[in-house]
Amino acid sequence: MTLAVRTEGLSKTYQLGFALRRSVRALQGLSLSIETGQVYGLLGPNGAGKSTTIKILLNLIKPTSGKAEIFGAAPQSPEVRRSIGFLPENPAPYEYLSGVEFVTYAAKLAGLSGAALRTRVDKVLDRVGLSRAGKLQIRRYSKGMVQRVSLAQALVAEPKLLVLDEPTSGLDVLGRQLIRDIIQEQRARGTTILFCSHIIPDVEALCDRVAVIIGGNLTKEGRVDELLARQDSAMEATIEGIAEAALEPVKASLQEVRVMGPRLLVRFPNEKQREVLQRVLETGGTITRLERTRFTLEELFLKTVKESKTLVGSDLT
Amino acid sequence: MNELLAIALSGFRESRRNRVTVVVFLFAFVMIFATTFALELTVATFERVMTDVGLGVMSLIAVFLAIFLATGLLPREVERRTVYMVVTKPVGRSKFVVGRLLGNLVTLSFVMAIMAVLFVAQMAINHATLTQAHGIAIAGLFLEVIVLSAVGFMFASGSSQFVATVATVGIYFVGHLAPDLYRMANKTQNVALKWVGKAAYYVLPNLDRLDFKARATYAEPTTFSELGGSAVYAVGYACIAIVIACLVFERRDFK
Repeated sequence: MTLAVRTEGLSKTYQLGFALRRSVRALQGLSLSIETGQVYGLLGPNGAGKSTTIKILLNLIKPTSGKAEIFGAAPQSPEVRRSIGFLPENPAPYEYLSGVEFVTYAAKLAGLSGAALRTRVDKVLDRVGLSRAGKLQIRRYSKGMVQRVSLAQALVAEPKLLVLDEPTSGLDVLGRQLIRDIIQEQRARGTTILFCSHIIPDVEALCDRVAVIIGGNLTKEGRVDELLARQDSAMEATIEGIAEAALEPVKASLQEVRVMGPRLLVRFPNEKQREVLQRVLETGGTITRLERTRFTLEELFLKTVKESKTLVGSDLT
Repeated sequence: MNELLAIALSGFRESRRNRVTVVVFLFAFVMIFATTFALELTVATFERVMTDVGLGVMSLIAVFLAIFLATGLLPREVERRTVYMVVTKPVGRSKFVVGRLLGNLVTLSFVMAIMAVLFVAQMAINHATLTQAHGIAIAGLFLEVIVLSAVGFMFASGSSQFVATVATVGIYFVGHLAPDLYRMANKTQNVALKWVGKAAYYVLPNLDRLDFKARATYAEPTTFSELGGSAVYAVGYACIAIVIACLVFERRDFK
């Protein structure tokens, strides 16, 4: 399988201030490989280095050390950029242009011309649901429409690599669904997608692999299903007929106890199941529900951040 | 080439939609007002006053517009992050800078052409004599606008709009004092000052060389070879400034 994206020991240190120079280490030796056709999620708290990684891959900033490759070539290569579509976080299209003019402009810059250009512009505007509002100036668009027209410019040249930075932020339910559908369509046509979002359920639902970046370091990386399967699963039970105090002898085995009116909701590790349930039955309690809880990517993310003991944000020196 | 044209035309469209051409109305208003005033006050020097005021206002508006457009464009693109969309496409950053400069020059040509037509109309209505010197003065002004636009881009490629504007306005004033700077450098006894003065004369643009307004006012002739020499100087200087702008912009991080 050929690699769409490869980074090796990628580091970036920003110099801030004019008189009193300060260094901020945004990335520290990041090495990643993304195979073609994958949907790859980048997760991390604010200031973790996700956007810096994306900007290096797009040649918006230069790394302090290390190297990045897209389809085997440097990000500076015009040929590489011909194969990339980029939707930035909080996109800012030219407001004086109409939707059609903006996407046409993007298509021309991507090297399209003639009838092919017009066909593609119409098609992507239709796909993002803006064919009727295409002639309106972008300054009259709502936030969701701005996001849609920006996605249209990213898609117009049929990219082989689609880089989406927070594509669903600020969108309503319909907008989020549209973005999810488009990502699925692009995956089906073999586009590699690098996807960065704080909405972790979206990442879990859409991505084949994820990388968790914290403090500029790669903390966890792998297939989503494998990462979640590696986590110890827990059991969750709803109990009626006893008070919380009745569970005092097995308290050490419980991960969580919540009092919900006449019921107790308890959570415990799988291996403590016999001990906890036996105690409930012995004290006259009734188990009305018992199920294995699924470890979510969000829980994995929170656990990883907690374990890393890294302050959120970059390293100031 | 297609991309360069698209960037240039987009720049012109931006200026037009942001109502930059409104300055033309300002020019027309000042011209009508000044002419009425001049008719009341002058007897024999009416044509000179008309020429002086007309070319002076045209110069003021064109220079203001050139500096405003040149120093604001790149910092605004970076600040609003509209630049992300362009530089991630297969368009070199240098092509973007050159395309945007060309777009500005198209806008300035358009505005200057309308102002020139209004000026000529005003002169004709008032039966003032139009000479070749008037045309050469306007051509010289356009060359000055090219140099200032390129210098504005050079400063704006690596700094904020404020810094770029202050620096370009400074260059405008010093550029018009270039011959005086050279004379002072020749007269001073201090060797270091002499070298600094001469270095500044050669490094900074000699905008006085492109200023033919006084000759138009006093109907003094200017040869085409003199204008040609000034044009080569202006375009050459602008090319060097824009190459520096491209080199700086190529190395810039867009955080």
